[in-house]
Amino acid sequence: MKSNTDKKTLARLQSKEAVLLFIFIGVFVLMSVLSPTTFLTWRNLQSMAFQLPELGIFAIAMMVVIVSGGMNLSITYTAALSSIIGGLVLSKMTAAGIGPGPTILAGIATFFVVGLACGALNGVIVADIGIAPMLATLGTSTLFEGICLNITKGGAISGFPDAFLWFGNATILGVPFPMIVFVVVVAAAYFLMERSPFGFKIYMIGCNPTVTSYSGVNVKKNLHRVYLFSALLCAIAGILMSSRYNSAKESYGSSYMMQSISAAVLGGTDISGGYGRIFGTVLAVMIIQVISSGLNILGVNRFIINVIMGGILILVLTINFISSGRKANAK
Amino acid sequence: MSRTRKFMIILMVLLAMTGLAFAQAKKVTIVVMPKLIGIPYFNASEVGAKKAGEDLGINVIYTGPTTADAAEQVRMLEDFISKGVDAICVAPNDPAALTPVLKKAKAAGIVVLDWDTPADKSIVDLSVHQIDDVVYGQHCWDLLVKEMGDSGDYAILTGGLSAANLNGWIDAGLSYAKTKYPKLHLVTDKVPTDEKQQVAYQKALDLIKAYPNLKGIIGISTPTPIGAAQAVQEKGLKNKIAVVGTALPTDSRPYLEDGSLRVVTLWDPSKLGYLTVVLANDLLKGKKPVNGQEIANVGKITVKADGKTVIMGPPTDFTKENAKNFAF
Repeated sequence: MKSNTDKKTLARLQSKEAVLLFIFIGVFVLMSVLSPTTFLTWRNLQSMAFQLPELGIFAIAMMVVIVSGGMNLSITYTAALSSIIGGLVLSKMTAAGIGPGPTILAGIATFFVVGLACGALNGVIVADIGIAPMLATLGTSTLFEGICLNITKGGAISGFPDAFLWFGNATILGVPFPMIVFVVVVAAAYFLMERSPFGFKIYMIGCNPTVTSYSGVNVKKNLHRVYLFSALLCAIAGILMSSRYNSAKESYGSSYMMQSISAAVLGGTDISGGYGRIFGTVLAVMIIQVISSGLNILGVNRFIINVIMGGILILVLTINFISSGRKANAK
Repeated sequence: MSRTRKFMIILMVLLAMTGLAFAQAKKVTIVVMPKLIGIPYFNASEVGAKKAGEDLGINVIYTGPTTADAAEQVRMLEDFISKGVDAICVAPNDPAALTPVLKKAKAAGIVVLDWDTPADKSIVDLSVHQIDDVVYGQHCWDLLVKEMGDSGDYAILTGGLSAANLNGWIDAGLSYAKTKYPKLHLVTDKVPTDEKQQVAYQKALDLIKAYPNLKGIIGISTPTPIGAAQAVQEKGLKNKIAVVGTALPTDSRPYLEDGSLRVVTLWDPSKLGYLTVVLANDLLKGKKPVNGQEIANVGKITVKADGKTVIMGPPTDFTKENAKNFAF
């Protein structure tokens, strides 16, 4: 019995996630050592906990779609479009003198409705029409961006009720509220993807949609759901961003687009679908955050930070590739 | 087992280095954050800011995002708040977006200034302007009329639609033109160019094609007039279309010399960087700026009645003749 558990632990330690855990601990210790008085402080940990949830939620929104064998290039513009229309509701109702309570309720409902509508459109194009997900979502992302720009004319929408700023900026017992949202999202995504029949079907579709379909799974219905789930997460990220930045603009978070793919892939998700762990993606986001904040505190030039991030991504992918090759050979 | 051991050894070596990091002395640290890094204008202001740091014996960190993204600025500022700097001087990409993070900075006891582009006025301790927006806007339109005459079609290319300072100049110029030059005809709304020369070039080509009677282009934001001049040069229209605007003299020199760019006007961005650091350092010592104060290496400054808006001085025009005398 005991040796059996040992073997299991060993297998787990050699997994992609274990490599990530070691890298995370490594970079965290490294940054703590390089700037002990500034990095390893409560204030910095709190500030990182404020920054991490946005990319974290986007990365999960990206990962669930990648697992299904797809790709969602519209995540940031889904968030932007829901922020801009939701933001319009918030600012117009505030300007009309309606109290913060109903304004925020209506505003947040709008975020979700617009987000889900974007997700539904992606679902229809990918599952029903059958266009390759990467092209479909590239198209919708341009569409959403265009709608955003038509509404804002390139400016930002601001003038939200002060109470709305609470979502992105408040702390509960010292823990940033966005972090609490992120933990809830992670838990929900974990149960949905790794512990529910729905998640199992998504992994199956990611491996082989034809076989999955022949085993009696409604592939279309489940693809619809995964794009809706992804869009729902984008709407949540949109709420956090517009609250943290006190405004809504089409370009907010546009830098998260490629970063979220990087985080998902760094987190061990198979880019061709069928494999990916929520835990791995979360670790990858934490690694990116620690490196970004740590190097920023050290005063490293932003361009060089990009170079380092790219280097780490290539390194981890190489490690994963070599170790999976070895495993295959051993078999 | 061996993996754990290796890991422990690395950990111990790293911890041994901790002592070195602790040895650093505490100096006043001022963060100067431009809208983005890596464009000539903000490279020039970096030189000034760093120079001021050396002259005053303080630590100046000059860094910003690689694209003009307000969200990225917020994240970087949060890192600096945790780092615990003494003053933050920021050129916001979007004033509203920075309000929460600047409030956080104030709550952490950090002195907050804006420079180049104003942030939320109620938060900043000091607002450093390169120029009086109204004077500058009017000056740009005066230059345009001098080059294209006081009647005819013209267009405006701007860096971005939400940049408060660019909008301020354009609005001042437009309302001035309405009364002073009523025969000028603006063909279309101001056209955004993402602060990129390549985009300005494209948009200028589009404008030339769409409005064959175009006589003038005003380019607001530094890469814009150069992109427009490139388009005019390529189409061989330098005698028909007058391009003026705000640009750096070194960048514009080739176009100024062949006439595709008639005249550009700007301040010295390195002086602006220098002034920002000096004023931030004064503020940290409890010294407020006064109207007419003489700042070494910069000149006389104007302080507005609110006591926190500082204006560096009048603009300098750069032409074919004098562009070679400037190093930025």
